[in-house]
Amino acid sequence: MKLSRRTATAALSGTAVLALALTGCSGGDNGSSGDEEITLTVTTFGTMGLDGLYEQYEADHPNITIEATNIDTGGNALTDWKTKQASGGLPDVQAVEEGWLGSVMEVSDTFTDLRDYGADDIKDRWVDWKVEQATDPDGRIIGYGTDIGPEGLCYNGKLFEAAGLPSDRDSVAELFGGDSATWDKFFEVGKEYQAATGKAFYDQSGFLWNAFVNQQDEGYYKKDGSLNVEGNDTLKSFWLQLADAQQAGLSANQAQWDWGKGQAFIDGTFATFVCPGWMLGVVKGNTEAAGGDASSGWDFADVFPGGAANWGGSFLTVPTTSEHPKEAAELAAWLTDTQQQVASFQAAGTFPSVIAAQTDPGVTGESDLTAFFNDAPIGEILGSRAEGVVAQFKGPDDALIQEQVFGPSRTALDAGEADGETTWNQAIETLKQLIG
Amino acid sequence: MTDARPASPRTTLTLRQRLSRADVKYSPYIYVAPFFILFGLVGLFPLLYTFVVSLNDWDLLSGPREWVGFENYATELADPWFWNSLFNTFSIFLLSAIPQLIAATFIAAVLDQNLRAKTFWRLSVLLPYVVTPAAVALIFSSIFSEDYGLVNNLLASIGIDPILWKHDTLAGHVAIATMVNWRWTGYNTLILLAAMQAVPTDLYESAALDGAGRVRRFMSITLPSIRPTFIFVVITATIGGLQIFTEPKLFDATTATPGGAYHQFETTTLYIWNMAFNQDRFGRAAAIAFILLVIIVLIGLVNYALSRGIASNETKAAKRRTARRLERHRAETAAPTAAENHLERLP
Repeated sequence: MKLSRRTATAALSGTAVLALALTGCSGGDNGSSGDEEITLTVTTFGTMGLDGLYEQYEADHPNITIEATNIDTGGNALTDWKTKQASGGLPDVQAVEEGWLGSVMEVSDTFTDLRDYGADDIKDRWVDWKVEQATDPDGRIIGYGTDIGPEGLCYNGKLFEAAGLPSDRDSVAELFGGDSATWDKFFEVGKEYQAATGKAFYDQSGFLWNAFVNQQDEGYYKKDGSLNVEGNDTLKSFWLQLADAQQAGLSANQAQWDWGKGQAFIDGTFATFVCPGWMLGVVKGNTEAAGGDASSGWDFADVFPGGAANWGGSFLTVPTTSEHPKEAAELAAWLTDTQQQVASFQAAGTFPSVIAAQTDPGVTGESDLTAFFNDAPIGEILGSRAEGVVAQFKGPDDALIQEQVFGPSRTALDAGEADGETTWNQAIETLKQLIG
Repeated sequence: MTDARPASPRTTLTLRQRLSRADVKYSPYIYVAPFFILFGLVGLFPLLYTFVVSLNDWDLLSGPREWVGFENYATELADPWFWNSLFNTFSIFLLSAIPQLIAATFIAAVLDQNLRAKTFWRLSVLLPYVVTPAAVALIFSSIFSEDYGLVNNLLASIGIDPILWKHDTLAGHVAIATMVNWRWTGYNTLILLAAMQAVPTDLYESAALDGAGRVRRFMSITLPSIRPTFIFVVITATIGGLQIFTEPKLFDATTATPGGAYHQFETTTLYIWNMAFNQDRFGRAAAIAFILLVIIVLIGLVNYALSRGIASNETKAAKRRTARRLERHRAETAAPTAAENHLERLP
C-alpha cells in the first residue's frame, strides 16, 4: 500500500528512455572537471514528472548526457533497486520512495552523503520533516526530496447530496470536524450516509489503516527501532473500529488499485476516498478509464480525519557506486529545485516538498486536475494539508509489515470473512512468522 | 620394400600435417566447448553459488551475515508457508496438466482427420502460445475479476452466485489452471498431432476392415502408438507446471502479497521470489530453490522409471507377439500335410 502504485493509472509515461542503467558512465575519467563528457544515469518510477526536465539540463550543461530510465510502478522500482543493490548496476541518481526508506536506511552507507556536495546550504528549501526523513541515524543526508503526499479527503458531491449531506467542500470539511476532524466522526458520518443510501462509504479499509498508522507518533516501529505492533492498543482499537465499520456496511470491499478498472468511481459504489496529492491523478485516471469525467461528482475537501497525514513522496539519491557523485548530486539538487518541482506538479500532480514551490502560482493555479475536481483549489488545499505533518520513524521491515502482515488480514476483514479480533490475531501471527 | 616407404611420419610431419592432426584430435572439444563454457557460466556456477548462499544467513541488501549450515533448510521444511506453496504448485499443476493433456489428445485426434483448411486449424490452436504469458494473465485476471468480470457476469445471468476467484483457494487454482491450459493446450496438441500422423495408415485400414469403429481404433491403435510422445509431453508439462510463476504473480497483481491475499495461489517459485525480493532473505530463498530442485529431480526420476517401465512392457509385449507368431509358424510347418490336405479337399 505504501509502495504506492500511484502509477497504476497514470499509465505509460512513455517517454522513458529504456537505457540500461548498467551502461553507466564512460570509464577512465577521474577527478571530474568542467568540460569532460559525462553520462549520468537516472532511474525514476511512476509519474514523477521529471522527463521533460532532462533536456533542459543537458542544454545548460553541454558536457552532460542524461540517460533516464523510468520504471512503471513503485513496487517494480523497489524490486529493481533491491536487485541492483545486491548485484551492482545502480544508476548515478536513484529515485527512492518514502515507503522503502526503512530498507534504504539499513544500507544508508551505500548512499553518498550529500552534505559533501552542499546539502547543508540548500536544506532549508524543503519542509523540515522531508529533510529529516532523508537523514540517516548518523546525520548523513542521503536524499533530496521530490514530492510529498499530504492527505486530504476526496468525496463525491453528488452522492453526498443524494444522501442529504452537505456537498460543498467547506461544509463537508465542517461536517467531518474541520481542523479537529477525528476518525470517530468520520465513521459516524459514514454510518449516517449508509443508513440514508444503503451504500458503502469508502472503497476498502486498507488506505484508512495506512493513513491511521502514519498519523501516529510511532508506527509499526518505536523510535528505538523495536517492533511496536503486538500489544499496541492504539493500533488494535482502530483495527476493531474498521471491523465495526465493515460490519455496518461502510467498506465497499473493492480491490485496491483496481476498482473494477475504475468502474467503482462512477457507479456510486462509495462516496469518499483517501487522497494524498498524487492520488488525485489516480482518481481522475480511473474515473476517466471507466468513462466518467468532471460531472461524475468528485471533489476534494480540506480536511482529514485524525489530523495531518502524509502518504508517499520520493527522494533522489546518489549511490556511492556512482563515478561522478559531484555531478550526480548537482543534477539531483537541480531536479528538486523550486521551478522543477512546479513543472513536475503541472506534469504529474506531485505536490512539491520545496516550500517556495508550494505557494507558486503554478501549483496553486488552475489545471486539468482542478477542473476535474469541481474547480477545487487543489494546490492550496494540499499546502494546508501538509501543515503539521511529522516524519515517522520507518523500520527496516515497515513496507513488509504493511503489505504482507496487514494486507491479508485487511482483505479478510473487508470481505467479512472474519471479525476484527480474529483478523488482528492473524496479523500478529503472520508478523511473528515473517519477522520473528 | 622398406625404402619405398616414406621415412617415419614421426620425424617428417610438416606443420600442415601436424595441424591437421591436431585438428582431428582437438577440434571436437573446441566445437563442444561453447556449450560447456556457457553451461558453466549460466548453469553450474549459479547452481553452486545458490548452494553457498543457501548455507548462509544472507540479506539481499547488506549481504552475507553468518554461516548457518543447513539451518535455512530446516527453517523452510518447518515453515507452513513453504508447504502451502508446495500444495498450491501441485494443485495448480494437476488442475492444468490433466485436463490439458486430455484436451490436447482429443483436439489432435480431430485435427488428424481429413479436415478442410488443415493448416488454418493447426495454426489456430497454436495461436494462444504466441501471446506472452503476461498479456494472458492480464486478460484472464480481468475475465475472472470478482465484481466486474466476464465470468461472474455470465454466471449471474444464469442465476449462479458470483465465485470469489481471487479469494477462494480452489476457485483461484482453477482460474490459473485455465490460463495455463489456454496457453499450452495448443502446443501439446501439435506435438501429439505429429505423433499421430506418424502412425501407419494401414493399421487403421486393416482395423477398419476387421470392423473396428472409430472409438475402438482410437483407443487401440492411436493411443498405444503415440505413447512415447505422450510420455515426453507429460515430462515437459511436469517441469513447466512446477515452475509456474507469471500466471499466479499477475493474476491478482493488486494484492500486497504475491500469489493472492492469503498466499492461496502462491506457487513455490513465487514463494522464492517473495522471500528473496520482498523479505530480503536471500539465504532462505536459495534454500527453497534447492529444495525445489531436489523435488523436480525426484519427479523426473519417477517419470523416467515410469517411461522405462512402459517401454519395457512394450518390448515384452512385442517379444510375446513374435514368440506367438514363431510358434504358429512352427506349428504350420510341422503339420503341412494336414493343411494341404484340407486345401486339397476344398474344391
